[in-house]
Amino acid sequence: MAAWPTAILLCFLLAGCGKTMVHSPNQPVTLTVSAAISLKGPLDALAQNYNQQHPDVRVVCNYGASGTLQHQIEQGAPVDIFISAGEKQMDMLQNEGLVTPGTRRDLLGNQLVLIVPAHSTAVRGFDDLAKAAVKSIAVGEPRTVPAGMYAQQVLGHFHLLPALKSKLVYAEDVREVLAYVETGNASAGLVYATDARISSRVRVVAIAPANSHDPILYPVAMLKASKSPQAAGAFLDALESPESLALFEKYGFASTPAPAAVH
Amino acid sequence: MALDLSPIRISLETSVTATAITLVTGIAAAIWRANRRGIGAALMDGLFLLPLVLPPTVVGFLLLLIFGRHGPLGRLLLHFGATVVFSWPATVIAAAVVSFPLMYLSARAALEQVDPRLLQAARTLGASEWCVFRRIALPLAWPGILAGTILAFARALGEFGATLMLAGSIPGRTQTIPIAIYFAVEANDLHQAAAWSLIDISISLTMIAGMYYWAHLRSPERTQWSRR
Amino acid sequence: MALEIQFEKRLASFNLSVEFSCGAEPLAVLGPSGAGKSMTLRCIAGLERPDRGRIAINGRALFDSSKGINLPARERRAGLLFQNYALFPHLTVAENISFGLDGLPPAQRTARVQKKIAQAQLEGLENRPPHELSGGEQQRVALARALAIEPEFLLLDEPLSALDTHLRGQIERQLIATLAQFRRPALFVTHNMEEAYRMATNLVVLTKGRVAANGAKETIFRQPPNLEVALLTGLKNFSRAKQISADKVEALDWNCTLCVARAISTPPAYVGIRAHYIDFLEASPRERALTNTFPCWLVRASETPFGITLYLQLHHTPGETGAYHLQAELFTEKWLQLRDQSQPWHVRLAPESLLLLPS
Repeated sequence: MAAWPTAILLCFLLAGCGKTMVHSPNQPVTLTVSAAISLKGPLDALAQNYNQQHPDVRVVCNYGASGTLQHQIEQGAPVDIFISAGEKQMDMLQNEGLVTPGTRRDLLGNQLVLIVPAHSTAVRGFDDLAKAAVKSIAVGEPRTVPAGMYAQQVLGHFHLLPALKSKLVYAEDVREVLAYVETGNASAGLVYATDARISSRVRVVAIAPANSHDPILYPVAMLKASKSPQAAGAFLDALESPESLALFEKYGFASTPAPAAVH
Repeated sequence: MALDLSPIRISLETSVTATAITLVTGIAAAIWRANRRGIGAALMDGLFLLPLVLPPTVVGFLLLLIFGRHGPLGRLLLHFGATVVFSWPATVIAAAVVSFPLMYLSARAALEQVDPRLLQAARTLGASEWCVFRRIALPLAWPGILAGTILAFARALGEFGATLMLAGSIPGRTQTIPIAIYFAVEANDLHQAAAWSLIDISISLTMIAGMYYWAHLRSPERTQWSRR
Repeated sequence: MALEIQFEKRLASFNLSVEFSCGAEPLAVLGPSGAGKSMTLRCIAGLERPDRGRIAINGRALFDSSKGINLPARERRAGLLFQNYALFPHLTVAENISFGLDGLPPAQRTARVQKKIAQAQLEGLENRPPHELSGGEQQRVALARALAIEPEFLLLDEPLSALDTHLRGQIERQLIATLAQFRRPALFVTHNMEEAYRMATNLVVLTKGRVAANGAKETIFRQPPNLEVALLTGLKNFSRAKQISADKVEALDWNCTLCVARAISTPPAYVGIRAHYIDFLEASPRERALTNTFPCWLVRASETPFGITLYLQLHHTPGETGAYHLQAELFTEKWLQLRDQSQPWHVRLAPESLLLLPS
């Protein structure tokens, strides 16, 4: 009795139990939105609203790291709409032809901020980072965490990288950066403005100027694999409505500076 | 704070199903391995233990490659109109794969400590191999297999990284308790995170105590700490 | 009605090569540890596979390398009694005995189990687990279990060696009675020659994987074919020998000349006498005039539970080194008579008791 044939057989049985829902006119259409974790707060509220106003549609949100979401989509996950925390992931999907043409737009912007523990007075701005009293600075890992990449750009803009190289602590996601600064394990950290808002144990001491890094954009697009392009398109439009954008701003996001650029 | 309680149902269904699967496959793999020696068998050991060695996220990624649209099993299932990614069976697959090595190792150790002469005696009395296994080897290996079941269940209940990769976090469908905890922490809702953690611990303790009690009911003398 | 065995198997330290057959009377395979006895038994039972040869019961081939036949153990219908009984610890006595009886309808199965329990005198113990039984009871259960399937032949691996000494006599008698009732080929292996002699009719002596002797037990004990078999059957006294005439040999290690009972056909390399067959003579001159009589002195005496072992030096008083020529075994009554006699004692190595052993 070999293990794998049994496992495969069981997969068949199980997959049969969990097939994607049949689309019949009487059942609500399910839209799956894969979105970066940082959007959870506002997006959950938006989705709930939308579901109430449109009983024939059910929006389901799947959150994760942008890279993970991108991999899932590449491997055939049934996703209708993708909101990424960085351009790179959306670019890759577009290059692989998985994005419905004409549906990509820059939905939101964000700002990078310098945070310190709430009661700390050692650091008041970017220049203070080079001081000897600052032992460690938490940032996201630049290759995998978009916030980390922007952090590198900002520090480079201020010519601080050589001095700070030995003090930088890399975290695998923004929540970890927040945790390091909250607990005082790091004297300072670089996160998005939206992330800083959720913690009362950190304090924003500086905002990185817009020209110190690439624009922080959250692109959104519909995916070709979507089984309900009409409903998806409607939800996309709803995301960009003034009410939705106002909600995002309440959570600290910026609307994109230019009018919606269609790639 | 309104708590969506679906992760409890999903976690329980997933863990129990995954444990049932690893029970069968783990014992089958242990039997298969018991009669083999040599390089081939050692390589199979490496394969069986792989999910233990790799980080769960990597395991999840490999599963995604296998069951995704382009993967060998994914394409096969697509023929039948079924998708695994983002479905509830994906949580079961992820949990079963990561807990398999624990069950396999326990089952193997348990079966190997059965006196081979007892199996030989059974054979000379006319028993088929299946009968030898079912009536002699399995009952005598039972305590070790029970330990393996508990290990596997605990691992399946706590599985996070691979599940998130393969099944996503879809409330009501694939969001298990560990994923709910993770997102609560991400959103800095530490109260919710603590609530989920307490629920998780209670479930584990109840299920594990339940398993021991059931085993004790079946054969009281075998589960006592002091043996004759 | 016979079990025919002929096979070879390459083992780690030697080659096992055996050929013998077992009829309806019990056969003992006698040999020292490591001679290949247990492996022979396992090959016959089907638990190990010989390299080549043929094993058949009543003409039905169980293993035949020339024809590619190798029946698995479950099809051989052999009853196997393991050295440590191999009772299933998680089953009761009754469940152990009925284990091989799944093919029978339930009523018949119960009846047979009850019959076997009665025959083995295990009433009252049916629902006990094996670990609550004494060694003798466990052995009876193991035997009952093997006999319950009504096998075509029985194999017993050192049936008495796991028992306490004081139990062995009783269990041995029960085994002999059971074997007498069984009336089909029964083969057991042992390293204990007394056990082999008492329980078996025929004997196979196995050393280093080869059959050194094969035949009726009396023949092998009284006329062992060579020194090796003689030693294995308990010979304690032997000397290098040289033939002097048609009816006389010289025992070189004992410094004496011995008359033999029959004319010598082949010149012997050794002469021997068993420790029990050394006669101690009375003081009368008539006895002392018999052939093969020698004076001897006591070197050392060693008491056994029911007698004494005497280490004797022939012809002259013993030296300081403790060297001796002969070892004699006496029962206590005879010893009590002997020790009042003054030394030298006189022993006789009766010609009919001498063993002439070729090289």
